[in-house]
Amino acid sequence: MIETLYASGALNSPSGFLWATLLGVLFGLALERAGFGSSRRLAGVFYFEDMAVVKVMFSAMLTAMIGLNLAAALGILSFEALYLMPSVYGAYAVAGLVFGAGFVMSGWCPGTGLVGLASGKLDALVFLLGALLGSALYSELYPLLAGLARWGDSGAVLLPDLLGLPRPVFVTVFAVLGVAAFWLSEHLERRHYGRALATGKAFLAAVSAGFVLLAASLLSLPAPITAVTARGAPPEGFLAAIAEASDHIEPEELADRLMAGEPSLLVVDIRPAAEFAEFHLRGALNIPLEDLEAGLAPYRQGHLVVLCSGGMTHAAQARDHLARQGFENVYLLTDGLDGFIRRCLTPVSLRPAPVGPREAARINAWRAFFSASPAQAAGSPPLPYDGPLPGLVSTAWLAEHLTTPALRIIDLRAQPDYNYGHIPGSVCLSLESLRGSVGGLSSMLLPADLLARHFSLLGITPETLVVLVPGEKPHDATLAAMACERLGHRRYLILDGGFTAWEVEERPMDTLLPSIPETRYPAPAGPDGFTVDASGVLATLHDGRTVILDVRPAEYFSGQKTDEARAGHIPGAVNRPLTEDVQKDGEVSRLKPVPELEAAYAAIIPDKDTPVIVHCRTGHQASQGWFVLKRLLGYRNVKYYDGSWSEWASRPELPVETGEK
Amino acid sequence: MHTPNAPKPVMNPYLAGILLGLVLLLSFLTLGAGLGASGGVARLAAWLEALAWPEHVRESAYFGAYFPAPLSYYLVFMCAGILVGGFFSALAAERVRPGVERGAAAGVALRLGLALAGGLLVGFSSRLGQGCTSGQALSGGALMLPGSLLFCLCLFAGGYLVAPLVRRQWHD
Repeated sequence: MIETLYASGALNSPSGFLWATLLGVLFGLALERAGFGSSRRLAGVFYFEDMAVVKVMFSAMLTAMIGLNLAAALGILSFEALYLMPSVYGAYAVAGLVFGAGFVMSGWCPGTGLVGLASGKLDALVFLLGALLGSALYSELYPLLAGLARWGDSGAVLLPDLLGLPRPVFVTVFAVLGVAAFWLSEHLERRHYGRALATGKAFLAAVSAGFVLLAASLLSLPAPITAVTARGAPPEGFLAAIAEASDHIEPEELADRLMAGEPSLLVVDIRPAAEFAEFHLRGALNIPLEDLEAGLAPYRQGHLVVLCSGGMTHAAQARDHLARQGFENVYLLTDGLDGFIRRCLTPVSLRPAPVGPREAARINAWRAFFSASPAQAAGSPPLPYDGPLPGLVSTAWLAEHLTTPALRIIDLRAQPDYNYGHIPGSVCLSLESLRGSVGGLSSMLLPADLLARHFSLLGITPETLVVLVPGEKPHDATLAAMACERLGHRRYLILDGGFTAWEVEERPMDTLLPSIPETRYPAPAGPDGFTVDASGVLATLHDGRTVILDVRPAEYFSGQKTDEARAGHIPGAVNRPLTEDVQKDGEVSRLKPVPELEAAYAAIIPDKDTPVIVHCRTGHQASQGWFVLKRLLGYRNVKYYDGSWSEWASRPELPVETGEK
Repeated sequence: MHTPNAPKPVMNPYLAGILLGLVLLLSFLTLGAGLGASGGVARLAAWLEALAWPEHVRESAYFGAYFPAPLSYYLVFMCAGILVGGFFSALAAERVRPGVERGAAAGVALRLGLALAGGLLVGFSSRLGQGCTSGQALSGGALMLPGSLLFCLCLFAGGYLVAPLVRRQWHD
C-alpha cells in the first residue's frame, strides 16, 4: 500500500514541492503536446469546431479513473490516502457556470493559460493577470460570499457510493459515456470541416474498445476494502496513523481525560453555533468548520486537539484539511458526539446490555460531570416563564432551570469573585461597561446601540430570558435592568438575594467559563421613553404634580455632606434613601417584600398615576427606585434622571435647596 | 507536409489525453492529490496583494489563512513546473510564437479585453469552486466526486451559453 505525501502530511514539505514541480513539468508538457497552448483551439469546443478539449479531458479522466480503481482493487492505493474535495453542490454549480463563461471569453483556464504564457501568448499573460485580480476580488468579497461558498456542502463522497453502485460498474458506465462523447465529437468535427481532424475511425474504435474493456476488467477484480468516510460509515484507516487508530480517541477515554481536567486537552466542536448551543461537551470550544484553521492556530503546539461533530464525516474532513496545513496534533472523536452520547451518557437503565457495578459507577460519574454543563443557547426557543416579567426570581427557580437553553445568567460581581466561583453557565459583566461619558456627563447609561453590542457579545437575543445576579447590592442588578429597559428587553429577572443567597444556600458552583456564541441584538432607534435630562426635570419643578424622588443618603440630601460641586437637593424633592428599600437577612441583602414597599411609597406619592422622577448622585442608585416603583409596584409614570445630582450640582444656573424634608 | 518554421502538428488528442491521464495518476500515487493550477494562482495573488497591503491581507478572512507563507504550497510549485514543461515542449515543437492569438478580423483590444474579463471570472469562480478545470473538473472527475462532475457540467453549460456573445474575437 502506497503512503502518499498527502497521507503522511508532507504535501507542503520540500519533497512535496519537488514532486509537485516535477508533475507540473509533465502536466505542462502534456497540455502543450495536446495543443492547449492555443486559446483558439481551446475555445473551439464551444463552437462545435475543434473538440480536442472534450477528447483530451475525458481520455485523461478515464485513464486516471481506471488507473485509480485498478490500484485500489489491487491494494496498491487506498482512496483514504487521497485528498477528496468536498462536494459543495450549490457553490460548485454557480462557480462552474461563471468559470465556463470566463473560459469561453478568454479562451484560457489557469493551467492552459500558463502553457500559453510559456508559448509567448500575450493574451495568456493578460488572462493570468485577470485571474490574479479575480482571486483577490474573491478574497475581498469573501465576508459576503461565505454563505454561498458553503451552499450545498455535502462533504467528501464518491458518486458511485452515493448512487449505491459498485465502483467498477460506475467506471464502466462512465467509460461508455466518455466513448459516446468521443464519437459525437468526431461527428461534429466531420460535419464542420468535412473530414476527420486527426483521427481515423479504426483508431477511434481501438481507443473506445480499450477504455471500455479496461473499465469492464475492473468488474472481475475483488472489491477493494476501502470505505470512504461518506454516508456516516466509520473510516477504517483514514490516514496511515489512523490505521492503527492512533489518530482517534475513544469516547470513554475522552470522558475520563476531560474529567481529570487535563490542561492540554482541547475539545473543538466544529458544528454550527446554533447546534453547539443546544448541546456540547463541557469545556468544548466551538469553532465552526469554516473558521477552523484560523481558530486553531493558537493551539498548534502543546495541545491535543480533539475534533468532534455530530457524526464523523465533517470531523474527518476537517482533520484531513488541517493535516494538509501541517497540524499534527489533531485527533478525531471516534463515532462523534452521537457516539459519545450513546457510549458515555446513556443512563445505565437504558443500555441494551447489562452493565457491571464498576462500569455503572463510571457511567454515572460521566453523566454527572457532563450534564452539569449548562447549554448556552442563542436562538433556542424562548423559555416560558409564567411569573411577572420583568420581576424578581427565586434562587430555587433558577437552580431548577439552570440547564435550560435560552437563559442567560449575568453575574454582576467583580471579575475575580466571579472567577473564584459562580453559578454554572453564568457570564461575568462589569457594570461599568454599561456606563460611560455621554455628552460631557460621566457615568451615563450608554446609548442603545452600544448596549446592543454588549448584549450581542453576551449572546443575548430579544427572546433570551436574562437573569441578573447582583453581589450584595440589589441596585447593581437594577442598573443592569436599566440597560435592558433601554433596549426594550423586558424578558429579564433579578435574582432575589443575589449571589450571596445562592452561596449561602450552597447551590451548585462552577469555575468553568461558558462559551457563548455571539448574537446580533437589534438596537432600537429613538429615545427609551423613561430617561429625562436636566431641562426635563426643571420643567416639572413648579407643575404641582411631579414628585422628584431623591434616593441619596439623608445627609447628602440635606446638604450636610457633598461629593459634588454644590450641596443640597433639587427644590421640592422628596428624600427616600435607597437603603430603606432593602432588608438584610443574615448576610443576604434583598429588596423588601412588595406590601411593605407599597405602604412606604403610598405615603410619599399620592397615587400610581402621579409623575415621578427618580434620581441619585450618578444614576446608579436611582435605578433601584425606578425598578421598585415601575416594575414591582406598578407606578405608571416613572422617569429616570440619569445625570442626577452630579449634573445638577455642576450647573450653577439650576436651583438648589438645602435642609431636610 | 511539415515546412520549417511552421509549428509541428499537435499530438493525437486521445493519446495526449492518455498521457495527461497517466500524469494525473502519477500525481495521485505520489502526492495523494490531483493536478491543479488555480490554487497556485490564488496563492500568488495573495502574496502580491500582501506586498501592497500586508496588514489587510493577513487579517482577511480568505487570503489571511494562507499566511505566514502563502507561497509554501505544492500548487505554487506545480504552476512553476507547468511553465517550464510548457515552454520546453513548445520550443521543441516550434510553437513558441509571441503575439496575441485572435481572429484575423478581430482587434487586439477586443481580444485582450475579453482575456482580462474572462480571467477575472475564472480567478473568482475558481475560488468559489475550490478549483479549476484541472483541480476540480479533471482531478475531481477522475476521483468520481459528484461535486466535481457537477462543476464540470456547469462549466460547459456556462461556456456554451456565453460562447455566441464572444465569437467575434475569432472571426477571420
